[in-house]
Amino acid sequence: MSHRKLFAAVFVSSLVLAAWPALAPAPRSDFDVEGFGRLPSLEGGRVKPIDTFARNTLLMIRSKQTVRVDGRSLSATRWLLDSAFKPETSDTYAAFVVDDPEVLGLLGLAQGKGRYFAYWQLEPKREEVNRQAQAADAVPSGARSRFQNAVLALDQRMTSYERVKNTFMPSGRGDPAAELSSLHALMKEAMGALKSGKPTKKASQLMGSLDSSMQAYQFLAEAAAFKSAPPKPGEPEEAWASFGESVLRPGGALDLHPSATLFARMASAYRAGDAAAFNAAVAEQTAWVKANAAKAASQARAEALFNRSQVFISGMTLYVIALLLVFASWATRREDIAAAARAVAWAAFTVHTLGLLSRTVLQGRPPVTNLYSSAVFVGWGAAFLGLFGERVHRRGFAAAGAATAGFATLLIAHHLGSTGDTMDVMRAVLDSNFWLATHVITVTIGYSGTYLAGLLAIAWIVRRHALRKPDPADDKALVSLTYGVLAFSLFFSFIGTVLGGIWADQSWGRFWGWDPKENGALLIVLWNALILHMRWAGFVRERGIMLMAVFGNVITSVSWFGVNMLGIGLHSYGFMDSAFWWLLAFSVCQLAIIAIGALPPRFWIQTRQADA
Amino acid sequence: MVMRRQDLLPRLASFLSSMELTVFCLIVLMILTVACTLAQVNLGIHMAVEQYVRSFFVWWRPEFLPFAVPVFPGGGLAGGLLLVNLGMVQFRRLEVSWRKAGLWIIHFGMALLFLGEFATAFLQVESHLTIEEGQTMNYSVDPRRMELAVIDATDGDADDVRSIPTSLIKERTEISDASLPFALRVQAFYENAELRMRGSGDPPSMATAGVGTGVLVRPAPRPLGEEQDLPAALIEPVARDGRSYGVFLVSPNLGAPQEFVHEGRRWKIALRPKRYYMPFSLTLKDFKHDVYPGTQIPKNFSSLVRLLDPRSKDDRDVLIYMNSPLRHDGLTFYQASFGKDNTLSVLQVVRNPSWTLPYISCALVAIGLLWHFGMMLRRTLGGLS
Repeated sequence: MSHRKLFAAVFVSSLVLAAWPALAPAPRSDFDVEGFGRLPSLEGGRVKPIDTFARNTLLMIRSKQTVRVDGRSLSATRWLLDSAFKPETSDTYAAFVVDDPEVLGLLGLAQGKGRYFAYWQLEPKREEVNRQAQAADAVPSGARSRFQNAVLALDQRMTSYERVKNTFMPSGRGDPAAELSSLHALMKEAMGALKSGKPTKKASQLMGSLDSSMQAYQFLAEAAAFKSAPPKPGEPEEAWASFGESVLRPGGALDLHPSATLFARMASAYRAGDAAAFNAAVAEQTAWVKANAAKAASQARAEALFNRSQVFISGMTLYVIALLLVFASWATRREDIAAAARAVAWAAFTVHTLGLLSRTVLQGRPPVTNLYSSAVFVGWGAAFLGLFGERVHRRGFAAAGAATAGFATLLIAHHLGSTGDTMDVMRAVLDSNFWLATHVITVTIGYSGTYLAGLLAIAWIVRRHALRKPDPADDKALVSLTYGVLAFSLFFSFIGTVLGGIWADQSWGRFWGWDPKENGALLIVLWNALILHMRWAGFVRERGIMLMAVFGNVITSVSWFGVNMLGIGLHSYGFMDSAFWWLLAFSVCQLAIIAIGALPPRFWIQTRQADA
Repeated sequence: MVMRRQDLLPRLASFLSSMELTVFCLIVLMILTVACTLAQVNLGIHMAVEQYVRSFFVWWRPEFLPFAVPVFPGGGLAGGLLLVNLGMVQFRRLEVSWRKAGLWIIHFGMALLFLGEFATAFLQVESHLTIEEGQTMNYSVDPRRMELAVIDATDGDADDVRSIPTSLIKERTEISDASLPFALRVQAFYENAELRMRGSGDPPSMATAGVGTGVLVRPAPRPLGEEQDLPAALIEPVARDGRSYGVFLVSPNLGAPQEFVHEGRRWKIALRPKRYYMPFSLTLKDFKHDVYPGTQIPKNFSSLVRLLDPRSKDDRDVLIYMNSPLRHDGLTFYQASFGKDNTLSVLQVVRNPSWTLPYISCALVAIGLLWHFGMMLRRTLGGLS
């Protein structure tokens, strides 16, 4: 087989492999769980499928998108169904991750058996958790102890779960469909009594029972985790209502919102184990939103498909395979393996691109809107640059750099994504597609370039120490690649930084304010400029440039994540605390690589071989 | 001696145009940037920038020394040196050729950017305009700077204001000016003061006139971080013939100005945030605070204002919202904050004559870098094939 044919075959089969999660049949179930997950809802200020809400909530509570029950893995939507409609069962799922020993002590739970606990285990200490969380909340966010952060996080998780439980029925009591129809009947009767005009004893009794059943819906309206009733035709686009709210609206109990009736039917059917009735209600709701809120319905369907396809996981897998193949090609010096490696790397990049494009389309925004998407984009940019570089110098380094960068950033994104909705809405000042598309994108491409240069430099250092036979042509290619990438990143980080200044001038009235994030960007520009000037002045040569390029990794990481850790405007402390140690570990590791690279030539394998 | 002096200039020139200096300045700037960022945690952004960036030296005052010593070059020095270095390198080292045209453009753009930052540091004036719905304002205030306002209020609203900066009150014991028919004796000045209502057992107040007679004042330590000083002063207006109108306690905490009558004219006196009057007025018609449905997450803040400028015959409605300021008469108005149940809007007002420089510079450097690196990329690719 020619290399070109091999390339095509490997490329296509990799793509098929990546598409598998989206094509694979859903786990068998009598209940139409998938259909339920595709229904649109409104939460966190945007329309999303219930599936997204379920995944994000479970991620926040359990740090995973699934929950294990009796050796089986339940999907997030299944978990949500149980929590909302049958909380007495979901209360027994080990869905809460509790790591902190002091919090475990507070709960009276033993450490060691596992880190997952069920709600019923935590419930006896619910009030104590709430009390401690309130005390912790009073402490300024930067000054909180580990325990305080942990107890606050636990309280937030428990509250989210409780809100899910109270979205359709107060803590899973009763029969929602029957209650809703009796309220409806009661309301009709009361209206009739009111019209007849005479205040009778029966009428006042009616009003009394109406009042008490309205109170239950009042409670639901306040506690609901998400809004399930789309605006009816003619209502404004943002007029979504939760189950309780739709009943409480003026005339809402008399003229029931179709979604309210249907969700009540789903709830009762699910409780009763009546799959046929549940599926019928899901189908009716699907048809209703399709007819009356078409945009929300199609948006939710598309996003649910995106969730199911897990593109970035596929991308990560392919990047790893590509990297392993590059190593194999170096070890065997076989051109066909190198071609296969390139094919898999291109397939990974294609999948990565598709994921990025899908997010852009789903969100209706430029690709970078938050820390999560910046990670996805940095990796994409580095992978693209690397693959482009591989076309210039076909020696595998650039492909390896591309695969490593792609994999690492998708992994980082995966962890960043566990703090909540990755397509969250943009706060006022950020709500500008123009600046997100210009400043944010260019600055992020600058990050990509700096990382790729750093990776290439690491490859150069590793070769110095590990290769037995010196290969000046390879070294020269690496140096020229690194230099090109550095120039590229200087361009993008400079333009991106200045564009950021111009954005700041447009929104705050100052071009440059020495704010930590701005300073971080400036550091990258200064460092890249420093490397290039030192090279032009002849203060550093090959090795010096390479060592400096590795340090660029540290500077970029610090400016990307480190400035967020100074305690300025940050909500996700749980993650950032652990992220700090990762950042530190990464920086130390880069410094170690620099130190190894700085060792005098007699430590290199290349020279030792030559001497011997 | 003469020989040496002749030596000195070329040596200075070659030092100023050396790449060593470039590298040194870049490193110093990086260190300053890191230091300024870290210092913000404790000092607040304003103080940190003053100490590290908007200064020629970073000063350090150890416990055992009565004065501060410069320990590191500040942003002003490093930036200034880099600017000089840039210019010198450009003219002494770089040839004028198409090959180097990119570098010329880049460095020219960089110089503009630096000049812009220096110009901003010296020329930019920032203030706030706090305005309620229905209110009309023709001035903005700088809450960081105080002024002693002496106002001839005889003719009603058309206030005739003399503004005396606090630096003058701090230095002098008596202020007299041709525009004032009386002198002002400064009895005391506190950079940061604590005011308290006088109780029955307290000693008498130092003030003998106005609301200050019921208030006790005492100096307080300067606040740290972003918090601001609340100064206070004891001011005694004295007529030319030596007659005193009493000692007034003035402070931004005391609210309304205090009054006295001199030769039949009503005078008001107040220590208040510095005001900048504008030759036009803004009326807030509506402030809007939009949130995303079902949440408290802000989506947009906007102020609908009526701009009335008799000189340019402007009388129109303007919507100021996030990322979309109003530019008028050299001033720029940005939506900055809000309050009072969304009926009050705070606009940031900036006068910065050099605001266009970064835009030009960004365009120039982009073109230059594209030119230069594009040429190099073409050479590399050409060399390979």
